[in-house]
Amino acid sequence: MSDAFASLLTALGDDELVLGHRHSEWTGYAPHLEEDVAFSSIAQDEIGHATAYYSLLAKVTDTDPDRLALGRDKSGYRHAVVCERPNREWGYTLARHWFYDTADEIRLGSLELCADEDLAALARKIRREERYHLLHADSWMKRIARGPVEGRTKLMDAIGDTLSESLGIFEPFELEEAAVKEGLWPTPSDELRERFLQRAAEELDVLGLPTEIHAHAANDAEFVASSSGDLIADQEGGDGGSADGQDTVALGLGGRRGHHSADFDQLWEDMTGQYRAHPGATW
Amino acid sequence: MWDALSTVMDPEIPAVSVVEMGMIRDVAVAGTRAAITVLPTFTGCPAVPIIKEDVLAAVAGVEGIEDVAVEFSYEPAWTPDRISEAGRERLKEFGIAPPTGNAPVLITEIGLPTVAVCPYCGSRETHNENPFGPTPCRALYYCDSCRNPFEQFKPI
Repeated sequence: MSDAFASLLTALGDDELVLGHRHSEWTGYAPHLEEDVAFSSIAQDEIGHATAYYSLLAKVTDTDPDRLALGRDKSGYRHAVVCERPNREWGYTLARHWFYDTADEIRLGSLELCADEDLAALARKIRREERYHLLHADSWMKRIARGPVEGRTKLMDAIGDTLSESLGIFEPFELEEAAVKEGLWPTPSDELRERFLQRAAEELDVLGLPTEIHAHAANDAEFVASSSGDLIADQEGGDGGSADGQDTVALGLGGRRGHHSADFDQLWEDMTGQYRAHPGATW
Repeated sequence: MWDALSTVMDPEIPAVSVVEMGMIRDVAVAGTRAAITVLPTFTGCPAVPIIKEDVLAAVAGVEGIEDVAVEFSYEPAWTPDRISEAGRERLKEFGIAPPTGNAPVLITEIGLPTVAVCPYCGSRETHNENPFGPTPCRALYYCDSCRNPFEQFKPI
């Protein structure tokens, strides 16, 4: 296996694991019982997908998937920063759920053409399951967009916060160029990001929801909104990272290079605590 | 081998065997070695490791077989039309409406059949309560005729 393939599988697995963990935090706390069931089930799916990506990686690197999932230091994770943000409130959770699953649908559509047949087959399988996640997110976006003002206002705020950070999902992973060359990552991330922005803007427009990105990202000039309200990623925007990358992390970027926010500290403690306390335990 | 595999039940739907579920893709025997390829229904199915152990235990007693390897594959992706007729009957008896298979169905906004047939009374007067359920592969419905909640195996 090439290092580029390992880097790709790590990014994919980490996104699903970390967001799956956040979704699971609704278990027992969701606004009503049916959503408790829904988010628990979605979390189980996402963590299952992470397991499948890690298993593929483990098979060729001769380690075990649990160790990949839980046995790494914080800086070893390559998920997008948006996945680690706390759930905050229902509107934020739904907006992130919708952006992430829209992004994942676009990413999986491309991965079905992956030169590695195992990953291509896995992408086809996962995409069929993810359809339910996206439909769940879609139905909530529609329900709130057409509902009372209070919920709509909260959702619009959440969209402002999450749209710019969601672009971090399409930040190139380490060794991406090599992965593209080897046919493992059939569509480069910046092209996928354009597809994502176009689709998100079109669908939000149909719902009468805003497509402007949050001020802090626009001010950085890395991503700018055009006069028509469409979103354009400024290709000239460099990575702009300081030594520790914290200024880019504040924009939702840097995750693919192992830069994470303080939000990840607590999540990592919770997620890996059991594994670190009892190394090698089975149950 | 197939007889032995027919005794392995789906851990989450113990009325149906993994053979009836269409989860066994291949059984290859070469001398005393056997290789079994299993298709998980859902990627995140937590029953997968249990299925592996149960398959190993079931075929351990097959005469002439000394070495068994169980592999999981996503190629082809498992789909509900792999469930046998007998398997569909067992699902119904267990209180789960069998998936609609390849038959053209009306799909609602949430991607589920608009008409799910109640496994208890056969009524079509039912509605979806939740596209998610107790396991990744099941959705929750309610029968407006016999007033029983029931589960529907998700089309995928």
